[in-house]
Amino acid sequence: MSVTREEMVQRLGGSRRSFMKLLGASLALAGVEGCTRMPASNILPYVNQPELTPGLPQFYATSMVLDGYATGLLVESHEGRPTKVEGNPDHPASLGAAGVFEQASVLQLYDPHRARRVRRDNQTSSWSELAAALRQEALRQQAGSTGAGLFLLLEPTSSPLESELIDRLLELYPAAHVHFYAPLATSGALVPLYDFREADVALAVDSDFLASGPFHLRYAREFAERRRPEAGAMNRFYAIESSVSVTGNAADHRLALAPSAIVPALEQLLAALQDRESTKWIGALAKDLRAHARRSVVVASPYLPERAQALALQINQALGNVGRTVWFTRSPLVGAGDARHSLASLVDALRAGEVRTLVCAGGNPGYATAASLGIGPLIKRVPQSVYVGLYENETARDCGWMVPAAHFLESWGDARAYDGTLSVVQPLVEPIFGARTVVELLSLLIGEPDVHPYDRLRDAWRTRGALAGGAGFDEGWKEVLRRGVLDGSAFPREQAAPEFASEERPAAGSGALDIVFRPHPRVHDGAFANNGWLQELPDPITTLTWDNAAEISPADAQRLDIDDGDLVELRAGQRSLRMPALVVRGHADAAVTVHFGYGRDGEEAVARGVGANVYALWPGDRFSISGAQLSRVPGARRDLALTQFHRTLEVSTPVRALTLEQFQNLQPERRPKTLTLYQPTAPLPDGTAPHQWAMTIDLGACIGCGACMVACQAENNVPVVGREEVLRGREMHWLRIDWYAIGPPEGGHYRNSVVSKGASVVSGFSRTEPMAMAQPMLCQHCEKAPCEYACPVEATVHSSDGLNEMIYNRCVGTRFCSNNCPYKVRRFNWIDYNAGLSETEQLARNPDVTVRERGVMEKCTFCVQRIRQTEIAARVEHRSFAGSEVRTACQQACPTQAIAFGSLDDAQSPMVAARTTKRAYAVLDDLGTEPRVRYLARVRNANPDLEPSA
Amino acid sequence: MAQLFSQRADILLRTALVAAIISVVALPLAAWAFARTPAATGQYRAFRQPVPFAHSLHVSGLKIDCRYCHAGAERAAMAGLPPTAACVPCHHDATVSSNLFTAVRQSLSSGKPIPWQRVTRLPDFVFFNHAVHVQNGVDCQACHGPVESMREVYQAAPLTMEWCVQCHRAPERYITPRATRVSGWMRGDLARGRAIAARYDVQRLLSCTTCHR
Repeated sequence: MSVTREEMVQRLGGSRRSFMKLLGASLALAGVEGCTRMPASNILPYVNQPELTPGLPQFYATSMVLDGYATGLLVESHEGRPTKVEGNPDHPASLGAAGVFEQASVLQLYDPHRARRVRRDNQTSSWSELAAALRQEALRQQAGSTGAGLFLLLEPTSSPLESELIDRLLELYPAAHVHFYAPLATSGALVPLYDFREADVALAVDSDFLASGPFHLRYAREFAERRRPEAGAMNRFYAIESSVSVTGNAADHRLALAPSAIVPALEQLLAALQDRESTKWIGALAKDLRAHARRSVVVASPYLPERAQALALQINQALGNVGRTVWFTRSPLVGAGDARHSLASLVDALRAGEVRTLVCAGGNPGYATAASLGIGPLIKRVPQSVYVGLYENETARDCGWMVPAAHFLESWGDARAYDGTLSVVQPLVEPIFGARTVVELLSLLIGEPDVHPYDRLRDAWRTRGALAGGAGFDEGWKEVLRRGVLDGSAFPREQAAPEFASEERPAAGSGALDIVFRPHPRVHDGAFANNGWLQELPDPITTLTWDNAAEISPADAQRLDIDDGDLVELRAGQRSLRMPALVVRGHADAAVTVHFGYGRDGEEAVARGVGANVYALWPGDRFSISGAQLSRVPGARRDLALTQFHRTLEVSTPVRALTLEQFQNLQPERRPKTLTLYQPTAPLPDGTAPHQWAMTIDLGACIGCGACMVACQAENNVPVVGREEVLRGREMHWLRIDWYAIGPPEGGHYRNSVVSKGASVVSGFSRTEPMAMAQPMLCQHCEKAPCEYACPVEATVHSSDGLNEMIYNRCVGTRFCSNNCPYKVRRFNWIDYNAGLSETEQLARNPDVTVRERGVMEKCTFCVQRIRQTEIAARVEHRSFAGSEVRTACQQACPTQAIAFGSLDDAQSPMVAARTTKRAYAVLDDLGTEPRVRYLARVRNANPDLEPSA
Repeated sequence: MAQLFSQRADILLRTALVAAIISVVALPLAAWAFARTPAATGQYRAFRQPVPFAHSLHVSGLKIDCRYCHAGAERAAMAGLPPTAACVPCHHDATVSSNLFTAVRQSLSSGKPIPWQRVTRLPDFVFFNHAVHVQNGVDCQACHGPVESMREVYQAAPLTMEWCVQCHRAPERYITPRATRVSGWMRGDLARGRAIAARYDVQRLLSCTTCHR
């Protein structure tokens, strides 16, 4: 995927000397090249042209399903190849935004390591041979006439079509068993929904609702609506959590507690609501919640023990929030809350040897299950096993049959959003590797392998009657396909509240530590581990790439004498695991956080051998364990590819914050006249274009989730460089997210801790609670850009519409510009990062953006291709356009709408309105670079009872 | 003391000086000049196409509009080449059976495209858009030359950046009314050009990212 210099030297014939010789030769040739003609090439038109104009992209609505829930998307297609994923504004789970998994899914479609052939044991086989092996007579012989030995293991699904097919399968084989499993899926029959727009006070209990879970894009949007002091009353947000999450860092007050202390804290909170004694923090929270009864909300993580969930519900009920800010609906998942469909019952059957035929579709149970279950060897013992999956992974290894699964961008199907809204899964391409969907597999099992999935889907929707029947159906169906979603199909609110089991606390081990298990924010449960974009996307808290680590608090690190990258051994009961440690500021003491998704050993070349497999320690039925031990492995280290200290800004206050009170009393800043080294120029010289492009980023709304980074990578053909190159500080992201430590100067490794500088502009930060604040940093498109003064060949110049342009074909790679850039946003192609890109990966490239070669500088362009396309489209349609019509990739992906883009001449636009508020400031404005990007200071709605009185 | 340098030393020195001047000044100049000749730019270069399609016959003879085959020219970045199926409505069985149509027949039966040779080629770092040029009054011939009279299409313009920029600097010298955009127009009347430029609000676009992204 990526090439290190060593690999490149090897490819070029071994020695460094021959590398230099070749380098010299290619330089000499480069001079000649300029005088030669363009090489001959072909134009290959269609034989029969479909309904499209080559060169004009098309958009289709589809849905991505994760852990059973759909998120609606619009996917851009260039002549039949999908290149970019956007959110579907009509879909309740997206509202137009797209998260990191959705953005990166397009790379997974083209992943050259995807399974390509149907195989049986080690022989190449075919779909029709599988159909023969699973035809009724054969299956009845194998698994009994009623199908008692037939077991299906599917990913959790909300698809009505799949549900109907399962019902038909059970008619055919009444004794067959269907199980659903994903390690991170929720299982309750009722699911909670929240409305953060209505909540004046919110409490997140270990919940990362802003950045994970099926509705996180929607919640992030609604939450951010209450974080803009200009737009109305702000909410006050508290977080209690063990590990540090994106959501926790967005809080006004954050309390770090080890997992075993969370249930007692909630009990105390419930008691405090009834005026009983409590700690200062809990007491202040209870007072605030009570003052906002019926307009507050408590959100508990689905990964907390049931006791904590029950307490959160009781607190919400005590406050009268249920039915207002929180309510419940039926779970859209098929068979939710029914223990017969659980993995545990399948494992029992496997152990008892009852399973004659196991059909496993999607997921990766051979890896993503508790190691104590030992499911791999159990599957291997099954006489007939079939796996339908994207990769030749751990599960495929143990199954007799392997069938390549279709990616969702290759599939017909349907699914429900978290609130039950019906969504369509529509393919953008024919399956690239001849892959098959779960719908096709189920069709085969019910003996109808020849029905096309599209016909099946349409007929299912026709008979279901959600759309008008008869002649009107086709019209309604087309409209559903066009919009990707059926309005008004969400489930109604239920009056009942979920019931939680009063579980027994599992016996704690002998150690003093709690282990918290969490999905990885970039690779989830491991499903996205082979995706280079996601592997290289820095963790939103630690900025770790290409690895997972045991996260511990600075106090624990000091006590155990552990530093970043030291190998530690985690021990829980009989099981142990070695992995590097990482000190995380704000982490709860006496707790370790580990993330799923790493330590893969299937055939996925990118994921293989990266990080440690924490399923080895996971008990499978809960997401934290107590009584664990942690010890340092003496002398053993692993270098962690952290981007935290790459490209730091050498100034005191790149991020700013105010308390709400300070904000309300703030006088508009009078900017002192700055002294500058750079020649003053007229801000808008003659011949300037009508549009002057600029961007405003609201640090109060930004949660640092990273969706913008992947969106930028997909839109702008930003290469993946690999772990070794990241360690050298050469990651290529045009847009990065800087994290600044705020709060007390407590340990942990962070960018310059801004609060210690004591400047008034950062006085809004909490002084007692260690937190971090995110700042998206990209080319600031300075009106007096230092890079432009430094370039000897004018490869970076200013455009008439205010862009700092980077011209690759003129760049000779002196890197002076990057040296002179105070924001450190320029990226250099040290080697040809696009060399060795597979044919399929090339298809993922955006045809409107140059793929850069070795020796060339690059950086954010404000998505100039989108600007020019909008200009051209307006010209072609003979109309003028407003600057806000152009949307950059980062802006479009942002779940909280923290990024606004547009033209300075468009005074009515939200972008201009935002940059004229009192909160607006420019980073490094004392340098006189006049950046076109403005940031809005974060406003912290602190609780006066919790602020130190000094 | 004997002479250190022979009598030939002066000649050698003068020759070397002249050679140095030539190599420093003349050679780069020659390279600069060569890069602008058709030999380097490919101007006037034609290709043997898989089908001997004559634009002169179809455009001048049969009066077929450019846009019948190059349908994207007004709307998209690419003007586009016609699908093989576009030949069939006129060239029914009788003509298709001739040897001239071997490539068309093969394409239709195999479903594989006809491998046309690209005549007008820009480097990959140039993002040219047909639609916006056509809509702003740049007619086809301004860049593609007198295609209507070409039996075999050749590259009419040098396609150097210098050539592109001369129009971007002074579009009024080249643009035509939209109504005539596909049928040719006499260029050079500056007053009329300025009037058209004003009517269409044609801008002088000289930012690098106009073409390089």
